[in-house]
Amino acid sequence: MAKGFTGEIIEKHADGRREGQYLSVEVDFVLLHDPTFALLLPELKESGEEIWDREKVLLTVDHFSPPSSIERANIVKEVLSFATEKRLPHLSVYQGICHQLLVEGPWLKPGMLVLGADSHTTTGGALGCLATGMGSTDILCALITGRTWLKPPEAIRIDLRDKLPPYIMGKDVILDLLGRYGEGGFLYQALEFYDMDEAIPMDDRFAICNMVVEGGAKNGLFWPDRVTENYLIERDGHLSRPGNWFDGERQYLRKIEVDLASIKPKVALPHSPAQVIDAEEIKDEAIDQVFIGSCTGGRLRDIELAANLLGGRKVARGVNLLITPASQRIYQKAIEKGYISAIIEAGGVVLNPSCGPCGGIDKGILGREEKCLSTSNRNFKGRMGDPSSRVFLSSPLTAAASALAGRIVDPREVM
Amino acid sequence: MALPEIISGRVWKLGDHVNTDLLHPPSHFSLNEKRMKEGIVEGMLRLGAGVKADSSDEGWIIVAGENFGCGSSRETSVRGLSAFGVKGVVAVSFARIFMRSLVNLGIPVFESGEIQGCVKDGDLVRISLMEGWIESPDSRRFPFSTIDPHLKKILDAGGLVSYLRSEKHGV
Repeated sequence: MAKGFTGEIIEKHADGRREGQYLSVEVDFVLLHDPTFALLLPELKESGEEIWDREKVLLTVDHFSPPSSIERANIVKEVLSFATEKRLPHLSVYQGICHQLLVEGPWLKPGMLVLGADSHTTTGGALGCLATGMGSTDILCALITGRTWLKPPEAIRIDLRDKLPPYIMGKDVILDLLGRYGEGGFLYQALEFYDMDEAIPMDDRFAICNMVVEGGAKNGLFWPDRVTENYLIERDGHLSRPGNWFDGERQYLRKIEVDLASIKPKVALPHSPAQVIDAEEIKDEAIDQVFIGSCTGGRLRDIELAANLLGGRKVARGVNLLITPASQRIYQKAIEKGYISAIIEAGGVVLNPSCGPCGGIDKGILGREEKCLSTSNRNFKGRMGDPSSRVFLSSPLTAAASALAGRIVDPREVM
Repeated sequence: MALPEIISGRVWKLGDHVNTDLLHPPSHFSLNEKRMKEGIVEGMLRLGAGVKADSSDEGWIIVAGENFGCGSSRETSVRGLSAFGVKGVVAVSFARIFMRSLVNLGIPVFESGEIQGCVKDGDLVRISLMEGWIESPDSRRFPFSTIDPHLKKILDAGGLVSYLRSEKHGV
C-alpha cells in the first residue's frame, strides 16, 4: 500500500477499530454550510445527541447568502436558530465561501484530519492536511461521535518543478492534470503535491487542491514547506510547529512530474472539467458572461491579476463580467488595494461574497444557449443555468483577458 | 433489519461519469422529499433517460458506467433516488462521496463491469446479495465484487444512522 502522507495522517488518527478495509479515525475539524447542514439538521435534533466538540466546528451560511427565495430563507432561518440555541462558537453568516473561511480562520494546520459537508473541502489540503468532503449523513455521524470511517487511499506524488510563468496560475496546473488523466483519473486516490522550488503562492495551491475532486481524488495536499509556514505565520501571528512535519520517506503508487514553465493557459470545454485544451487553440468562441469567483477562483491573487489586466481598459461589448470575492476579508483587501475600482472602471460588476453563480444558486444564472467562461470548478451541463447553456473553465487571468476580447483568448494575447 | 436476500427492479441505464448536478439539478435543492424526487425526474429528462419515470411498479436498479455520481456531495441526489424507488445501484466504478451516501442511506452498491452490455432499459433484473450475482432477464448471471464487510454492516443496519445506533447500544 502506497500510503503517502495521507496514510500517515490516517494512521495517526486511527482509534484501533477496523472493519473490512475501513479504519475508524478521530476527526480534528468539521466544516458545514447551510444547505448540507440543513439536510442533516432534522436527524441531529431527533437523535437528541450533542455535537461532540463545538470548538471544532465551523458553520457557514454561504450558499443561500443572503437567500433569494422564501424556501431558502426558511432553510437559513432553521440553521441560524439551531446555531444560536447551541451557541456554536464558530458561526459565519454571509461572510464568504466556506472553503475560504476555513483556511482564513486559525484552525487548519499540517497533519490534521478535516471533514466537510461539501465536495470541495479538499481545498484545505493546501495547508498540508487531509481534508475531504462527505455527504450529510456521514457528517452527521462525525458531528455526534467526533469520528468517521475511512478507507486509506493509494497516494500519488506530483512534483511541480520551476516557477509559475506570469501568465500561468494554479488553475492551469490542475486543469492540465485533469486533461491528461481524465474525470475519473484519480478515483479514490490521494494526490500529494511537492512544490520543488517552494514558489507557488498559497492562493494557487488552494485552487489546485480544490479541484482534485474533479479527477475523483479523495484528497489533495501540498507537502508543508516554507510557503505553508509563511502563510500560517501571517495568518496566526506565530507558528506552532510540531517537530514531525518533515520526517521520513513516504511511499507512492507513482510519481508525476510537472514542468510549470512549459504549461500553456488552459480551458476546460463544456461539459467536463477534464475536457481540457490550450486556450490558444480556441478560435472565435464568443462569450456572453465571464465569472471570476467561487472557492476555486475568487481569492485575492485571482482578483489582483484580473484587476491588473483589466485596469485602464474596457470589457468588450456584449460581455457581462461578474466578480465575486471569496470572502469579505478578500473583498476588503481588494478595495484597499484598488482592485475593485479597476474592475468597476473596466465595466465589471462586483457581487457579494457567496457561492452564487457557480452552482446556479443566484445571480448570473445563464439563459438559453448562453456561454460563460468561469473560474469556478465545474462546467457540468445545466449547473449554472439553462441546460442548453455552455460553461468553459479557466484561470482568472484567462477569464479577464477573454472579458476584454469578448471571446476566449490566451491571456498572452492581451498582456 | 438485514437486507433482503434478493433485490429486484427494472433497469435504468446510465453512461460513464454521470455527475450529481446532472442527475439532480442544483436548482431542485430542497428539504422536501417530493421536490427531491422531482429533481430526479428533471435529471432523467436532462440525461435523456431511456425509461419513463412512472414506468416501474417493481422499483429501479440503476446500471451505470464508470465514476458514477461524480461531483457535488449534496445528498439530495441520493435521497431523491431513494424517494424515486431505486433499490440498488450497479456501476463499473463509483465516485467516493456518492458511493458512501448511497450506502449511508441504505441503498446497496455493486461494482460490476460485465452487466452493462447485457441489459437494456426497463429489463427486470434480480440481485442476490448472499451469492453475489446480478441476473439478467435471460437468466444469465454476472458476479459483482464482494461488498466490503464494513459497508455490508451499514447496509444490514438499514443505513449509517441505524448502524451507529446499534453500535452505541451494542445490539
